[in-house]
Amino acid sequence: MSNTNGTAHYGFAERWLPRVVLAPSFLLSLVFIYGFIAWNGYLSFTASRMLPNYEWVGLAQYEALFASERWWVAVQNLGLFAVLFIAGAMGVGIFLAILLDQKIRAEGALRTIYLYPLALSFIVTGTAWKWMLNPGLGLEKLMHDWGFTSFTFDWLVNPDYSIYTVVIAAMWQSSGFVMALFLAGLRGIDDSIIKAAQIDGASLPRIYWRIVLPALRPVFFSTLMILSHIAIKSFDLVMALTGGGPGFSSDLPATFMYQMAFTRGQMGLGAASSMMMLATVAALVVPYLYSELRSKRRG
Amino acid sequence: MGALAIKNVTKSFGDTDILKGINIDIDAGQFLILVGPSGCGKSTLMNIIAGLEGPTSGEVHIGDRVVNNVAPKDRDIAMVFQSYALYPTMNVRQNIAFGLETRKVPKAEQDEIIARVAKMLQIEHLLGRKPSELSGGQRQRVAMGRALARNPKLFLFDEPLSNLDAKLRVEMRAEIKQLHQRLKTTIVYVTHDQIEAMTLGDRIAVMKDGVIQQFGSPQEIYDSPANLFVAGFIGSPSMNFIPCHIAEQGGVLGVALQGEGEPVFFALPERLNVQGRVGQAVILGLRPEQFDQADAGGVACRIRITEPTGPDTMLLSQLNGRDIIARVHPRHAPAAGELCSLVPDLRKAVLFDPETQTRIG
Ligand SMILES: Nc1ncnc2c1ncn2[C@@H]1O[C@H](COP(=O)(O)OP(=O)(O)O)[C@@H](O)[C@H]1O
Ligand SMILES: [Mg+2]
Repeated sequence: MSNTNGTAHYGFAERWLPRVVLAPSFLLSLVFIYGFIAWNGYLSFTASRMLPNYEWVGLAQYEALFASERWWVAVQNLGLFAVLFIAGAMGVGIFLAILLDQKIRAEGALRTIYLYPLALSFIVTGTAWKWMLNPGLGLEKLMHDWGFTSFTFDWLVNPDYSIYTVVIAAMWQSSGFVMALFLAGLRGIDDSIIKAAQIDGASLPRIYWRIVLPALRPVFFSTLMILSHIAIKSFDLVMALTGGGPGFSSDLPATFMYQMAFTRGQMGLGAASSMMMLATVAALVVPYLYSELRSKRRG
Repeated sequence: MGALAIKNVTKSFGDTDILKGINIDIDAGQFLILVGPSGCGKSTLMNIIAGLEGPTSGEVHIGDRVVNNVAPKDRDIAMVFQSYALYPTMNVRQNIAFGLETRKVPKAEQDEIIARVAKMLQIEHLLGRKPSELSGGQRQRVAMGRALARNPKLFLFDEPLSNLDAKLRVEMRAEIKQLHQRLKTTIVYVTHDQIEAMTLGDRIAVMKDGVIQQFGSPQEIYDSPANLFVAGFIGSPSMNFIPCHIAEQGGVLGVALQGEGEPVFFALPERLNVQGRVGQAVILGLRPEQFDQADAGGVACRIRITEPTGPDTMLLSQLNGRDIIARVHPRHAPAAGELCSLVPDLRKAVLFDPETQTRIG
C-alpha cells in the first residue's frame, strides 16, 4: 500500500514541479511583454503626449500617423533597407560560406574573423562606420590624402543616400553570421553527392546552384526569418550611425517611434506607430510559426 | 585489351601514406573486386581511378590513355556510392537526367535513355518520387540507373550494398552480376565483404594498409592465399591456423596434430616442398571443410560447441592448443562435450612461415 502511495506522491510532484518552476517567468512575461503590449495598444487610442493620459480619441492618432510625411519616409526606408540588407547579407554570406567550404587552409581563423562583427553591438558597428564614412575623417579623406582629390563619398551626409550607409554597416555586421549558418548546412551535405555531380560533369557553380543550395532550403528560410527580424527592429545601428539624419532622411519606424514617444512628446502617435510595427512583425511571424507547428505535429 | 591499368600509384595525406605502390591491370569486360578491411584505402584508390583525387605518384590508364590529367567527367566512367549520393531535391527522373543534361544530350534522347534504364532496373513507377520517398533498395537501384544512363567504359562501385539489409544484399548482388553478364562493361567494385568478393569477382585484389596483398582469381585466392592475412580474410568461417613442427616418420615428412589424446602424425603432400625444413615451426592452414569425421585414422577432439547452420554443422574444438572450426555433415554430427575423431584432408592444406607470415607451400 505504501508503495502505491509513494507512486502517487511522485506523480503529483512530477506533474506540478515544472509548472511551479515555470510560473514566475511565465507571469513576468505575461505582465511585462503581453501586458505592456496591451497597454501600448490602449495608449494608441488616447491623446497621450508627454505622459500617458486616458482621454479616448479613437483612431485620431492613426490618422495623424498616416498623414505624416516623416512616417512614410521611415516606412519607405525600412522597405529599402530590409530588401537590400537581407539580399546583401544573404548573398555575401552564402558566397563566403561556399569559399570557405573549399577545404582551404586556416579556415578556423577565417571563420572567426568573419564571425567577429557579430560579437559587436550595433552601437559599436554604427560608431565605427560613422567615422569610416565621415567625409572629413574616413574613406574620403584617405583617398584625398593619397592624391585622389576628385574622389567623393558623402553618402553619410547626403539625404538621398544616407539610408544606404545603414545598409552597408548592417551587411558588414550580419554577413558572417549568415556565412556560419550556411557553412554548417554545407558541411551537412554528403561529400559523395558532390563527387557524383563532378562525375556527371557539372561545373562547381552548377553543382552549388542546382544541387547544394536547393538542399539548403530550410537554412535559407531560417536565415531569412532571422534577418527580417533584425531588419524590422533595427534601431541602435541607425541611432549610432546617422541618428536618423540628415534631417529625417534615414529614419526607420523604430527610430520614428522613439522620437515621437520619448523625445518629442507625442506618446499617442508613437504608440500608434509601434502598433503598426507589431502588426508587420505578426504578419511575418505568424504564418511561419503556423507552418512550423503544423509540420511538427505532422512529423 | 587492357581496360584499366594502375601503375605504382601512391597516395599520401600529409605525412600518412595511405596507398603504398598499387599495381593492377585488368582486361576489358572483367569484374575487379577491391576487398579489404575498412580504412585500408579502397575508397581512396577508387577516387583516384575516378579522378576525384590525384595520386601522389604513379599512373592511371583507362583504355589506352593515361588519365592522370583528365577530369572525372572526361574519363568515361560512372560511379555508384555507398550512400547512394542521390541529389536530394530532385526526383528520380531528374537525378538520372542531370548528367545527361550536363552533357547536353538532346531531350528526346534523354527520355529514351531514362525509359530504357528505368525498364532495365524496374524503377519506372518511381520516376516521379524524391529520394527521401524511396527505400534503401530503391535508392540503390536509382543510383545504379544514374550510372547506367551514362553507358560508360568503366563502372566504379564503392561498397554499393553495404547499407542494405542481408536479404536485399543477396538479391542485389545477383542482379549486379546479371547486369555485368548482360552489359559486359568493365567493373571495379569495392567491398569489405569477402562473400561479395568471392561471388562477384573475376579478379580480386585483397588490400591491407594500402598494399595489395594478393591479386588473382577468386579460386586462386581461396586455394593459395599469399599470406596469413589473405588466408584469414577470405573464407567464412575463416581458415584454421594450427602451429606445428615439420617432422619425419618412416621417411615421410608430415606434422603431428594433437587433440584430446596422443599426437597423431599426418603426412604432408609432396606439393608442399618441405624437404630441408624438418624441425622447423610452421603454421598449417586448413579450411573448415577440410576436416572429415571418421571412425578410424583421425585425431580425437573434444567438441566444445556445435553450430548447426542447416546444410552443415560447425564443430568448435582445439588442435595443438589452438581453437579450430570443422564443418561437417549434420547427420552424424556429435553433440557438445562429446569426443569425436576428425580426419584432416591435407591435400589442399597450406603452410605459412610464422615469422614472415607468407605462404611457404
Ligand atoms: N582526405 C583525407 N585526408 C586525410 N586522410 C584521409 C582522407 N581520406 C581518407 N583518409 C584516410 O585514409 C585511410 C583510408 O581511407 P579509405 O580509402 O576511405 O578507406 P576504405 O574505403 O578502405 O575504408 C583512412 O585511414 C582515412 O582516415
Ligand atoms: Mg570506403
